[in-house]
Amino acid sequence: MFSKVLIANRGEIALRVMRACRELGIQTVAVYSEADANALHVRQADQAVWIGPSAPRESYLNSEKIISAAKASGAEAVHPGYGFLSENADFAEAVESAGLTFIGPPPAAIRAMGDKAESKVRMQAAGVPTVPGMQGLEAVAEFERAAAQIGFPVLIKAAAGGGGKGMRIVWDEHDLPEDLDAARREALNAFGDERLLVEKYLPKAHHIEFQVFGDQHGHLVHLFERECSVQRRHQKIIEETPSPIITPVLRERMGAAALAAAGAVGYTNAGTVEFILDPDSLDFYFLEMNTRLQVEHPITELVVGLDLVHWQLRVAAGQAFPYQQGQLSQRGHAIECRLYAEDPAAGFLPSTGDLLQFSLPRGPGIRLDSGVTSGSQVGHFYDPLLAKLIVQAEDRPAAIQRMQTALHEGVIHGLTSNLDFLQDVLSHPDFLAGNVTTSWVERTFENWSQPEVAPEALLAAALADLLPASASTNENQPESTAPDPFNPWTEANGFRLGGG
Amino acid sequence: MRLVFEGGNRTYEIELIQSGDSYRFVIGDRGLDLERVHAGGGRLDLLLEGTPLTAFVSRDGAKRWVTVNGRTYQLTKSSGARRGGAATGGQNTLLAPMPGQVLAVNVEVGDQVSTGQTLLLLEAMKMEIRVQAPRDGVVKRLRVAQGQTVEREQVLLEIGD
Repeated sequence: MFSKVLIANRGEIALRVMRACRELGIQTVAVYSEADANALHVRQADQAVWIGPSAPRESYLNSEKIISAAKASGAEAVHPGYGFLSENADFAEAVESAGLTFIGPPPAAIRAMGDKAESKVRMQAAGVPTVPGMQGLEAVAEFERAAAQIGFPVLIKAAAGGGGKGMRIVWDEHDLPEDLDAARREALNAFGDERLLVEKYLPKAHHIEFQVFGDQHGHLVHLFERECSVQRRHQKIIEETPSPIITPVLRERMGAAALAAAGAVGYTNAGTVEFILDPDSLDFYFLEMNTRLQVEHPITELVVGLDLVHWQLRVAAGQAFPYQQGQLSQRGHAIECRLYAEDPAAGFLPSTGDLLQFSLPRGPGIRLDSGVTSGSQVGHFYDPLLAKLIVQAEDRPAAIQRMQTALHEGVIHGLTSNLDFLQDVLSHPDFLAGNVTTSWVERTFENWSQPEVAPEALLAAALADLLPASASTNENQPESTAPDPFNPWTEANGFRLGGG
Repeated sequence: MRLVFEGGNRTYEIELIQSGDSYRFVIGDRGLDLERVHAGGGRLDLLLEGTPLTAFVSRDGAKRWVTVNGRTYQLTKSSGARRGGAATGGQNTLLAPMPGQVLAVNVEVGDQVSTGQTLLLLEAMKMEIRVQAPRDGVVKRLRVAQGQTVEREQVLLEIGD
């Protein structure tokens, strides 16, 4: 086993990986940009290395700086987390050339799956069903011809990556040129590669993915599905497992397809094979493979009973994965809600600010994977994911109830979050019925807004103004830009008014 | 004590009257009695008309965040005076919908623009947003340049006739 690992990431996933390292007795090295100098992941690590200015390209996407940091700190392996360099085959290769271990699949598997165009061809060859589409196009006219042939709506996406970056649904040929431009720029920014491909867009589909896991001794299993159809801007906000629409027979077929997909590229370590599923015909198509740990991996951990990050580390160090497919099963139901700094009432635009209060409940079956805490600053440089709230219960209704109760007790102040929105999604009859497709959020909540201010809220605001500030509110310095915005917490000693 | 808060495009006038150990809270023609208060660390535990109520309150300057019954509201404390002066955020002034960086400026002062035309591109958290012309007109003023960092609701440009 490694004795020291560098985590080439930030936020909640850096903390998640560090926790696993600590549990296995491994020392941790954090890397950080200027904007993250006070971030939690820097404080939690055994060691932290500054790698550059705030812009991702100058820090978290700079492989040279990260590899030098690993070498200088004496780390033996690099865990890439998700996003940033996690699916960059050149980075994985550079890590290995530097004599370090990349905690993930072989660079060749990343490269094969990372190129969405190439991977599609390989999947077809492996007998995995794929979405009708075209690739290798350059000129706008070529895209126009291809889109007309496939039929609108079409989806343009980056050949080099996933995560909704560089992805656009085009409903009308009129919008195609401008959407191509924007997608190209986003793709270039996010992946350093502007190639795009075009596919048939299925507006009424479920997003279902399979977790796969392989060791370096030729053993590969799947750890069942995750249903991720609750999405906005092609990014997931709620995930659950088991899927409410998958039957045991379909699960077996899709699981076999996932294994065929991963096997075709010689996959090892944790990976996810994404499919879209037509809920009427139950036909499914390979979408892409994410060659890394997934944001929503905790729901699989809870239902299957394995620690995926532990196994990532162990398998990367050469250990065998000991469980056979037949020994693995799903137990109970798990749901994850992603807490984002964004405004659901304004097209889910990101919001920034200092977290004046950040509090989510703990309790039986409740897990919080968070990258922030009260006092954290959320800036505009990185992904707006604040934290993930994950619950597990005996069955789906109990898990939904548990999540509802937990979200209801949450407090996020200082920026606009999707906390209230998530509660409305969870209580919607379509969600309760498990009847949600990938375009459902945008269709159903297009005009979502906060309800009118409740009298109780006005009363609390008024009362807080009347009471001494340090006792009643969590106050930022007026018009302050101080980096550490508050400390009235230290004086919070149960100030009491009135009788009782 | 009279207080005015703005929230969700509405203005709320509140009267809070202290009498001994309890408070009376009046909004419009509605009056509510508050009996007991514990306060600390951004949390208020109250008895409202005899029913327990917990609220979480934070403030930053005039801004208030209040969470009650699982809902979070953003309020702004106001002096109660009518807001006057130069109009902002109307059809003629385009504000940044999110904080971020100006990726590109596609127009110059004096340019004729038409409804829906992309005037600026903003980028935040790796996402790209098009700022489009809300109407036909002429670019009167350009307040930002490429590469500049902007705050939410910062004025980007003005359109006139």
